[in-house]
Amino acid sequence: MYACIHAPGAGALAQSFSPHIEMVDAQTAVFSITPRQVPGLQRISRAAVAETAEAAILAARHLPGLTFIPPGEETNILGALSIDCLPPDPEIFQTLDLWGIRSLAELARLPENGLAERLGPRGLWMQKLARGALDRPLKPVALETTYEESMELDYSIKLIEPLMFLIGRFLHDLCARLDAQSLAAGAVQLTLNGKERLLRLPFPTRDVKFLLKLVQHDLEAHKPGESIDRLRLRIIPTDPRRVQHGLFTPAAPEPEKLELTLGKIRALVGQKNVKTPELRNTHRPGWSIGDSRLAFRYFRPPITARVEIEGGQPKHVSTRVCRGKIAKLSGPWRTSGDWWRADQWNRDEWDLGLPDGSLYRLYCDQGGWFVEGSYD
Amino acid sequence: MLSSVSLGWRIESAPDVLSTGAAECPRGRITEIIGPRSSGRTSFLQSILAASTRLGEFAVLVDATDSFDPCTAAAAGVALDKIIWIRCAGNVEHAMRAADLVIQSGGFGVVALDLAEAAESGLNRIPATTWFRWRRSVEATPTVLAVVANRPLTKSCSALLIEMKRKRAIFTGNLLRGAEYEIAPRKPIGKEGKALHCMAV
Repeated sequence: MYACIHAPGAGALAQSFSPHIEMVDAQTAVFSITPRQVPGLQRISRAAVAETAEAAILAARHLPGLTFIPPGEETNILGALSIDCLPPDPEIFQTLDLWGIRSLAELARLPENGLAERLGPRGLWMQKLARGALDRPLKPVALETTYEESMELDYSIKLIEPLMFLIGRFLHDLCARLDAQSLAAGAVQLTLNGKERLLRLPFPTRDVKFLLKLVQHDLEAHKPGESIDRLRLRIIPTDPRRVQHGLFTPAAPEPEKLELTLGKIRALVGQKNVKTPELRNTHRPGWSIGDSRLAFRYFRPPITARVEIEGGQPKHVSTRVCRGKIAKLSGPWRTSGDWWRADQWNRDEWDLGLPDGSLYRLYCDQGGWFVEGSYD
Repeated sequence: MLSSVSLGWRIESAPDVLSTGAAECPRGRITEIIGPRSSGRTSFLQSILAASTRLGEFAVLVDATDSFDPCTAAAAGVALDKIIWIRCAGNVEHAMRAADLVIQSGGFGVVALDLAEAAESGLNRIPATTWFRWRRSVEATPTVLAVVANRPLTKSCSALLIEMKRKRAIFTGNLLRGAEYEIAPRKPIGKEGKALHCMAV
């Protein structure tokens, strides 16, 4: 059952009945209504209730007061209206005028087949409209809602725990608001004493417990360092997550659990030390797939080496991890690049084997000699 | 009819395995890979990660000494987008705590803890109970917990202990062409060793 309000400020009036309303024009709003809500429309100057949205719109626009159209009575109630009440279509209106059709009841009575032959699908559509039988879903407008809560405290907060209590309350309210609009949080913006911190979520969610834990881990990793007087929490909304599960897809960690675990690990080892490795479009050593496919282990940072040279080639190497006469040697391999940037590289590399069988990569650049790592 | 369940017996079936080219690593168990530098430990670990990520599973690498090379790992067939790399900058304690959190979280095909080249002082401070706890934690999961180290650390907690040995480096003229390693299983006893050939080019 649909209701339509045709009055100044129809949008605001309609929102007092339902959060999902369609604005047909500036003064006409249509929405879904329950029988219990119908008496509430009596205070409105022009309103109508009907089985279909289009019938309600026609009645509200052209009949005074509150019109209630019981199912099946559409033609009787709307029939007296002139065909000018229908959406304008000069060609069809001219034809109907020639036929002597003046009211919706007359149009509704015409045989469907004959009408379709002469006026096509548009004519049939207008006849359905005249009969009040044109059923269509609502096109609800997106309401502008802010997802923000703020508070100025009488007594400043020093500890994280009482702060989490307030944040929890905010999150609870905001997530309820998101739930009502079928939205989810895409990011959380927390402002403490005017200092802003944006927490981007890896997936949209409105799980209060999960968001609260995430904010807690973030606060523990980045402590405010001062007493909190002012607090503001804003949620940036986005569409909720839709996941298609498969019977044969391999097991993967639960996203919520994984994010909390990674949050704890980030707090432990640092934000930049937890990541998914990726290769870059460059020839810089260690950044892209090179020619060598032999497994390699880096010494990060590279280890300074003392190298004895004989005939232009290294003969003996000495570092804190390895020392000895070089038994086998491959190189020099000259590489350079990014000469237009401050972090350009230009170096000679050798692969070397020591008598004990261990294999290393040695390089020489402007900074001296270094052992970069070992083949393993 | 009497069934083993009604009598309270638990039938210990053979664990599911993750087959790599080099060996079969039991799921829900600890696999330990030991050996000196340039003995093929990393090659073996990469083969485990590659086998797991090829199946579409997610893996975690807890890298105690920041030694992981994504380039050679990608060349070995590891799907880097399915790996979470946790760098611990030489801090063994952080590596152990991070691995603990990951194991408790669950859902990964492989959890690899790379302790090779880690400071001996840090390794000596690892409580033996940690390995027993982890053995229990991964027991009912499809996770392969792989530990790489210079020497055995997990003692009786590992189901598979593989010692990697250097065999020879293959130099052709002025070019390092590859290396040959020996895979010597020390646990379970009685398994035969294998050779692992890794070619550089």
